Amino acid sequence: MSRRPPRGEYIETDTGNKVARKATLVGTQNIMLGGKTVIMPDVMIRGDLIRTIQPSSQSTGGAPPSTTAVSIGRYCFLSRGCCLRPPGRLYKGVFTYMTLRIGDHVFVGPGSVVQAASIGSHVHIGAKVSVGELAIIKDYVRILDGTVVPPNMVIPSFSIVAGQPARLIGEVPEGGHEAFELRNLYKTVGNNPQPAPS
Amino acid sequence: MSSKRHSILPPVSSGPKPPVHFSSSITIADSAVLTGTHPIAIHSESVVHPRARLDSLAGRLTVGRRCVVHERATLGAIGTSGRITEAAVTLGDYVVVEVGAAIEAGETVIGEGTVVGVGARVGAGAVIGKHCTLTPHTEIAAGEVVPDFTVVFSNGMRRTDKRGVAELKNKGLARQIDVLRRMIPSNPAKFA
Repeated sequence: MSRRPPRGEYIETDTGNKVARKATLVGTQNIMLGGKTVIMPDVMIRGDLIRTIQPSSQSTGGAPPSTTAVSIGRYCFLSRGCCLRPPGRLYKGVFTYMTLRIGDHVFVGPGSVVQAASIGSHVHIGAKVSVGELAIIKDYVRILDGTVVPPNMVIPSFSIVAGQPARLIGEVPEGGHEAFELRNLYKTVGNNPQPAPS
Repeated sequence: MSSKRHSILPPVSSGPKPPVHFSSSITIADSAVLTGTHPIAIHSESVVHPRARLDSLAGRLTVGRRCVVHERATLGAIGTSGRITEAAVTLGDYVVVEVGAAIEAGETVIGEGTVVGVGARVGAGAVIGKHCTLTPHTEIAAGEVVPDFTVVFSNGMRRTDKRGVAELKNKGLARQIDVLRRMIPSNPAKFA
């Protein structure tokens, strides 16, 4: 198949997304990337699980149904081996998948599985975390390694959670917001990575 | 599904192609991986997601009716024992194996209606009862017997599920399978 050697490990788009060639993206037409997002090798995103019933179908009229399965904001970082899949549930007696919405500056650690309904901005998810179906994670949340977030859990802003099942163990200290910034991490991967500023 | 681009990567599937016994009503994704030498049987209306791995190198695999095997789940992983048995892994009806879970080979039996959570691991020869729930990242030791209706937590705690919602759960799963059949392009001919 390959006519020439691959030009680099990552595909870099015009909007600054860096997508590894070895990532598995299923149903790419239903995955929205906000820009400057890094998708590392072995990441799996299930874009084929789209919602089957539309909310308030009468009011939308002739508008085309939205088929976005996963929407990701800017400066997100999906580490090696993590998996994003839209959550599913029974709605009015019919099974449907819901859109997985992720804000900006969200870090997902290696080997984590995310099936949340929505994740706010500036969220840090550690390694080997399982985020259950239809969980809602607000802004500035830190989830430590190995946490199991149960289905339908709502995590308030500025909290630190850990444990199996996840419990609130603390708050993000004042002035600790800069640690969530992922602009520098974005520069350290890609086809010509730059070393992280010390 | 119209823009079909071909990957430059070599195909993931490696090793021998196992003999398969598929029901005509199953849904199996194109990128599922089936390897091994022993037969793999999948009964009616079951769903196998992309990149799920079914390995029959250590014995026969049987997947019951209306089961769902999610992506990256492994059935028949060669565990520590590595011995070849008659029936490596047997899944009952209505079994859900979630993302990244691994079920080791060696007379392992999962009972009807059981949910194996995200990233859980079931050791070789373990027998899980009916309608059990293994929460994410649970580890079941090799040869362990888990009674019916047990909920196993990842910190080792256990309790009995007395809610009596087994019937409802099965109904919900049937609805989910109906949706998945329309979403996952099935290609059983590839494995035949």
